[in-house]
Amino acid sequence: MLDRVISVKNLVKEYDGFRAVKDVSFEVKEGEIYGFLGPNGAGKSTTIKSMLGLIHSDGEIGIGGFDIREDGRKAKEKIGYLPERLFFYNNLTARQTLDFFGELRGVKPPTDSLLDQVGLLDEADKRVGDFSKGMIQLLGIAQAMVGDPEIYILDEPLSGLDPRWVKVVREKIKKLNEEGATIFFSSHNLNEVQNLSDRVSIIDNGKKIAEDSVQNLNEYLQIKPKLIINIPGLNGEIPSVLQEMHEIESIDASENKFTIECDPNARSRVLAKLEEEGMEIDDFETVQPSLEDAFVRLISKEEEE
Amino acid sequence: MKTSKVWAIAKKEFRDHIRNRWIIALTFIFVVLTIAASYLTGGKAGEELFGRLQGTVSTLLSISSILIPLIAIMLGYSTISGEGENGALPLVLSYPITRGEVLVGKFLGLSLVLIASIAFGFGLGGIVIAVFAGIENTTPYMVFILLSILLGGIYLSLSIFFSAVCKKRSTSIGAGILIFFWSMIYGTIVFGIYLSTGGTLEQLMGSESTLPGWMWKSIVVSPMDMHGTSAMQAFGLEKAFGYAMDVPSYLNLEFLVVIQLLWFLIPAILAYFFFKRRDL
Repeated sequence: MLDRVISVKNLVKEYDGFRAVKDVSFEVKEGEIYGFLGPNGAGKSTTIKSMLGLIHSDGEIGIGGFDIREDGRKAKEKIGYLPERLFFYNNLTARQTLDFFGELRGVKPPTDSLLDQVGLLDEADKRVGDFSKGMIQLLGIAQAMVGDPEIYILDEPLSGLDPRWVKVVREKIKKLNEEGATIFFSSHNLNEVQNLSDRVSIIDNGKKIAEDSVQNLNEYLQIKPKLIINIPGLNGEIPSVLQEMHEIESIDASENKFTIECDPNARSRVLAKLEEEGMEIDDFETVQPSLEDAFVRLISKEEEE
Repeated sequence: MKTSKVWAIAKKEFRDHIRNRWIIALTFIFVVLTIAASYLTGGKAGEELFGRLQGTVSTLLSISSILIPLIAIMLGYSTISGEGENGALPLVLSYPITRGEVLVGKFLGLSLVLIASIAFGFGLGGIVIAVFAGIENTTPYMVFILLSILLGGIYLSLSIFFSAVCKKRSTSIGAGILIFFWSMIYGTIVFGIYLSTGGTLEQLMGSESTLPGWMWKSIVVSPMDMHGTSAMQAFGLEKAFGYAMDVPSYLNLEFLVVIQLLWFLIPAILAYFFFKRRDL
């Protein structure tokens, strides 16, 4: 059994002198969901296309224990891929499309079951050319599942879907993972990566700037939980008593709510101080740091450097 | 190379393109013109089969020389550049299939669409001739159909080559149109050079035409002219479009077929070379 099913070492891709990917390395463990996060144009799709041997690049790429360049066929037998820009052959039906991809993988796919899982069974015999963008994306997910691959490489899997299907696809990804598949997916959507990933790497400007679990990233960046307090009649004003407290790192106010970033130990002192000042606290909650906070912190650190 | 993968691509190409509206429209025009030409020049008079052979073959040649390359270019121009651009090809290549298998499969599938169009057009044309003039020696007609398939194969190979070289679909259709028009005007250019270097119309139109050797040699760089010359040889004709054919002995049918096969193979090999190095 392989511990690391995806291994990328020192990946470099240049286009006419422009370095789109700069010495990126990472490993994905068997059975994990690995999020690949970055803004548009960061180099996510270029990295994925290199991993699939679709573009020529420098560095080492191993998929399922096989070198993608030397043993491309064996490596690809293990992969289910969903590209960011999805296009099927317009004159084929959904059923013919899945049968075609089944033939490429050397299997007879359970077409009806796959279409049913993505809600397209009723459209099985319709031309793909007549499908909406959302339906194309769903068919894309069904094609990625053809042959029950061990590794899924999904490039922006939730883009272009309306909210009801986002939920379905997110659950599907989780289910595939629960059934043993390793998932590598890219996204520019922080919430999605946070909700799905066991580990995440963040790429910006072609360079990997961080890699860890969401929780560890926040700890590493020393991002503190946020305390959100609701005080009626505040009207966006920050109480002067809070401005004087040195334990508070940042404070934002909007209407009756204000958000404080401070050491967890200081939270009770903040609340006590407000009560001492005679302020009526309607409610308060503590929000754990999000990936967005880590992302923003990392990107701004990167820009400063 | 796994034949099952090649066949999967070939089947997909056939299924996808056989329903392509442009291909259907061009095939329809081809079929109508072929039947009309066969009826008007070969069958209508009720003469013996190929009784007016020169007229029939000349007309069928005019039709096939224009429409078959056009159908082939329409089939092949976007098969790599277009599918690379829209994302269909990267998805296919994410499966356990090599670029060589994809390319061979595409050649096979698109060739089958082309063969279907030609067989349909010339098949119905042949039936019209047979019904009105009877069935006799059909071998030259069959050879003519095979030569037409070869002509289509050459333009298919050229269009796939351009599709592999050009990054964008729009550039590859531009290259396809360019090669088509170049083929169309090539004869006129050669004719212009002939006249400007002392050749006369009298020499050309006379009963014993004496074309300079370079003019005959220039045929090998024009698939359309090679197709015409080899078709004439297949039917054993001595005149085409009113011109006498004093074809040099080295330009026999076998030699012309070999040269045409090279015209098919060389762009196909180059297409593989460029496709293999292409980023998708």
